[in-house]
Amino acid sequence: MIPPLSPSESPIQPAGQRLRVRHLTRFLYESVVHDSYNDVRLCPVSDPLQRSESFHLVLRPPVPVHTHHDFFLNRVDHFEVHEPHDRLEVESVAVVETRPDPRGLPPKGLTLASLEAPEVRENYFDFVVESRFVPQNVAIWREAMDVITGDAGDLWGDAVRLGRHVHDTFAYDPDWTHVHTDAADALKDRRGVCQDYAHVMIALCRSKGIPARYVSGYFYGGRSGEENEASHAWVEVFLPGFGWKAWDPTHAREADTRYVKLAIGRDYDDAKPVSGRFRGTSGRRIEVEVMVRLLD
Amino acid sequence: MPQPFSQEQVARHKQANIMLSRVAGSLYWMSRYLERAENVARLVDVNLQILLDFGQVSDETLKEHWLPILRSTDDEDLFFQLYENADSESVTEFLTFRPENPNSLFSCISSARENARQVRDQISSEMWEVLNEAYHFIKSADATRVWHDGASAFYDQIKRYSHLFQGITVSTFSRSEGFEFIQFGKYLERADKTTRLLDMKYHILLPKVTDVGGAVDAAQWHAVLRSASAVEAYRRFYVADILFAKVIEFLIFQDSFPRSLVFCLQQMDHFAHLIADVPEDEYRSPGERRFGKFLNNLHFTTVQDIIQQGLHEFLMEVQDEIGAFGSHLYNTFMFAPPVDLQAEIRFHQQQEQQQQAC
Amino acid sequence: MLFDNYQPEDFFDEMFTADGSVRPHYRGVADALNPVDPGEFRNKQAAVEAAFMRGGVTFTVYSDAQGTERIFPFDCVPRVISAEEWDVVERGLIQRLTALNLFLHDIYHEQKILKDRVIPPQYLLTAKHFRREFMHFEVPKDVYVHICGSDLIRDRDGRYLVLEDNLRCPSGASYMLENRAALKRTFPELFQASGVRPVSHYPAELLKAMQHCAPKNFDGRDAPQCVLLTPGVFNSAYFEHAFLARQMGIPIVEGRDLVVRDFKVFMRTTAGLVKVDVIYRRIDDDFLDPSVFRPDSLLGVPGLVNAYRAGNVSLANSIGTGVADDKVVYYFVPRMIRYYLGEEPILPNVDTYLASEPEDCAFILDNLDKLVVKSANEAGGYGMLMGPWASRQEIADFRVQIEANPRNFIAQHPISLSRHPTWVDDRFEGRHIDLRPYILCGEKIVVTPGGLTRVALRKGSLVVNSSQGGGSKDTWVLRHGVR
Repeated sequence: MIPPLSPSESPIQPAGQRLRVRHLTRFLYESVVHDSYNDVRLCPVSDPLQRSESFHLVLRPPVPVHTHHDFFLNRVDHFEVHEPHDRLEVESVAVVETRPDPRGLPPKGLTLASLEAPEVRENYFDFVVESRFVPQNVAIWREAMDVITGDAGDLWGDAVRLGRHVHDTFAYDPDWTHVHTDAADALKDRRGVCQDYAHVMIALCRSKGIPARYVSGYFYGGRSGEENEASHAWVEVFLPGFGWKAWDPTHAREADTRYVKLAIGRDYDDAKPVSGRFRGTSGRRIEVEVMVRLLD
Repeated sequence: MPQPFSQEQVARHKQANIMLSRVAGSLYWMSRYLERAENVARLVDVNLQILLDFGQVSDETLKEHWLPILRSTDDEDLFFQLYENADSESVTEFLTFRPENPNSLFSCISSARENARQVRDQISSEMWEVLNEAYHFIKSADATRVWHDGASAFYDQIKRYSHLFQGITVSTFSRSEGFEFIQFGKYLERADKTTRLLDMKYHILLPKVTDVGGAVDAAQWHAVLRSASAVEAYRRFYVADILFAKVIEFLIFQDSFPRSLVFCLQQMDHFAHLIADVPEDEYRSPGERRFGKFLNNLHFTTVQDIIQQGLHEFLMEVQDEIGAFGSHLYNTFMFAPPVDLQAEIRFHQQQEQQQQAC
Repeated sequence: MLFDNYQPEDFFDEMFTADGSVRPHYRGVADALNPVDPGEFRNKQAAVEAAFMRGGVTFTVYSDAQGTERIFPFDCVPRVISAEEWDVVERGLIQRLTALNLFLHDIYHEQKILKDRVIPPQYLLTAKHFRREFMHFEVPKDVYVHICGSDLIRDRDGRYLVLEDNLRCPSGASYMLENRAALKRTFPELFQASGVRPVSHYPAELLKAMQHCAPKNFDGRDAPQCVLLTPGVFNSAYFEHAFLARQMGIPIVEGRDLVVRDFKVFMRTTAGLVKVDVIYRRIDDDFLDPSVFRPDSLLGVPGLVNAYRAGNVSLANSIGTGVADDKVVYYFVPRMIRYYLGEEPILPNVDTYLASEPEDCAFILDNLDKLVVKSANEAGGYGMLMGPWASRQEIADFRVQIEANPRNFIAQHPISLSRHPTWVDDRFEGRHIDLRPYILCGEKIVVTPGGLTRVALRKGSLVVNSSQGGGSKDTWVLRHGVR
């Protein structure tokens, strides 16, 4: 099923590298709140493409943490703050070694038919149907038709075309959308941030029957010093016989060793890095600091 | 900011009979509301009767007659939002039927029943049936009919429901912790209402000092006694005329009369000790010590002291102490469940990191 | 004689054979009731109803804005099951619940049954009550369903069939107990030497099952502290919650009475916080924990799910059991029995068509006027099309719904439920019945001998639900060797 690689086609991958990530989320409340229940998905994944060397989670106020794995096998660290408090800090520090994809280039020419075998289906069933932030509607269907008329004939190639289409027709705008904007709304205005890019690309892929899922993580942009960054999101596409392959519609390229993966899911809702609820009438402010640095 | 942490201590030892704080709270409020209803019924009834004694009265007199009653329950503002004039019909309707008035008879009985409904399976069915019947009785009545058919019979019936409930409670409810909360709530409410009854007299007295000791004055003190169902008992102690100082002395200090302030306070003290599981005469928490000190002081206070200090000032102080002790017990043992669910939903907020925005 | 003019007609009648003679296991009942004067019977019937109303043995009708309390109408003629019949039912139910518990463990862990293609994965992943949040949970003693109420019916040949499984918060056990008590008060003579097996130990068995499933971290010093969690006094089944809690001698709590501290659950009492070990919850998953499921729910307890996950508290039933009473998943229960137990199902399912299978779907759409169509996740007789009795408009509406969302519908041929003599208009007439037995899973699986027999009081009706004009009967299971 997978065409063998000829030497000339073998990819030029940046070498593996070690990255250090520091991610701080600070909730500042105008008055005291209490009974706060929180889940974080901040620990980098360990898989053939990356190895999590160390991970430290520091909470202020300090409270015990319970760890479990969710449906998509993301690690979830859960903690509760019952006492009245007016600020909450979640700081994670992780060291990750990222590696070039040992599988080589993704296969070409995979058709929709390759997805039909039952043993293939069970890998992706969740990722071709609608989900909370990735609905299906006529506008999404038409948008995908504009890029690929007829059935998808090359799963990876078509997914990349759809992703590139999002990249080319969208304006990056950090002030336009918000955390609960779904793919349908983001497509209306064609502007937003990486989360919206990812949601729309996923929606277009699914509308063509191509299994696609959401990835939350970080991107190393070559920065040094104290400059603040943000967390990142991109997309993975399922290719039978190959596995999940990542593509980043915000930057229009495959994810490589500069990407650190934290969690996956049908959309943002499954992979939220920090989420929770508390009791209190207070207004609040959120500060986020993310820093990804090259080690060695 | 509520105080969610006043009941946070883990129980020292496992009890055989667990009583939920919420259940204790419902029993307490059920009892308080019914007691409140009885007091309102008596107050309205007596004052309607006094007006009959007066014969023809001017609008101004009517207003002077009713206003102190509204003031004594802090309901004056609400009343004038609903009515222009304070006359017999408007005040009676306000105190009896208006659901907007949280202290109206209707509201009190509804609340008593609602609290009972929350703990329906923890009280005897006879207790529930009385409250249910009282509720349907007042719900099916209306002001014009009551006015027309004779108010006394109506208010008598309300009082009878309250007495029936108390009797049934004593004879059908097991002497558990729940009983203690019911009794504590009843005596707290009654103590508070007795102070308000006396204070009403202060409101009446103030404008016309010259009348003190006169015929009108005696009639009003007589009314106060009747509002506390205390005329007969008073006469047994003080056969002579109804005198200002004697009435005060009786309603505050007569510790054999079950509506006197001292009697109610002693009962509160007694049941609070049972609830806290502390021997009588011991006061451990700051709230208990404060109340103990107050009770002790009261024992060494005379009527003359009170008149000197000013009856109103004295009563205000007493109300503060009753309120403080009530909150202390409430916060320690009972639990105020959220009533307004929509507000509670707003109170629960979600927080998320901002969107992923590289 | 009271039964003289009774007509079994062309149905399977529980009491009479086709030729009109009394079945052997009903002889005691027939002998005791036949001489009763109709007037006396009427009086007794009325007395029972009055007693239920007084005692508050009621449920609340939601569709009615007032939330009226009604009694569940009670019919004084008991439904009798012979010892031999019951043996089969009991073995079948034990087999079924064993398989369902294995299934739930499997799908929330390895999902072997999906990998082995016994059940197509998409049916499971799209099931409304499949709880992704619950994946990889370790459940005490691997018991997911502690209390199960499966609905059984009998077809024209008297075969027992499983109509549906109720694996979330099955209700009605209190009526089983109250019905028995009522019948004993009204017709004590019926019970003399009748050899009826008692049901009164149900609350004790239930408590035992809950205590058996104490959480992993339970210190084991005293008996585990059990509580019953109710949505509150306004819930239609509040009577039952209070009744069962009282019978078991455990506190009945609402969400607001519970609080989670350090991943442990406590209840607020007048003596301070008291730790809770096992929760018999009568609220649905969705409302259990606003920090995990529906955020706007205040019936539940924030942090409860994580306390459960941490092994500090047990829930009966567990989370996510509703996936197995999805009516589409129901279709696969016989396969589960074969897959996990290597046995043939003792109690068969009703033949079912899945609208999501193209062939079945075509058949369903062609035969809407002959079939009973049910939506996958509704209970209580709602969301149902009774083809043969439906109007054209109703059929057209269902056609649209099925075409839009085939996953959500199944169809069955109408079963001519067995009938039972029932007191209607001062005489006995045949009315259709079903049976809900209660199965408890603790150290072992126990089926309470009896259950709730529901009867469709409207003439010809097949709908037995209390919300839709159903009533109930006392259900007798006879001892072996009783004639």
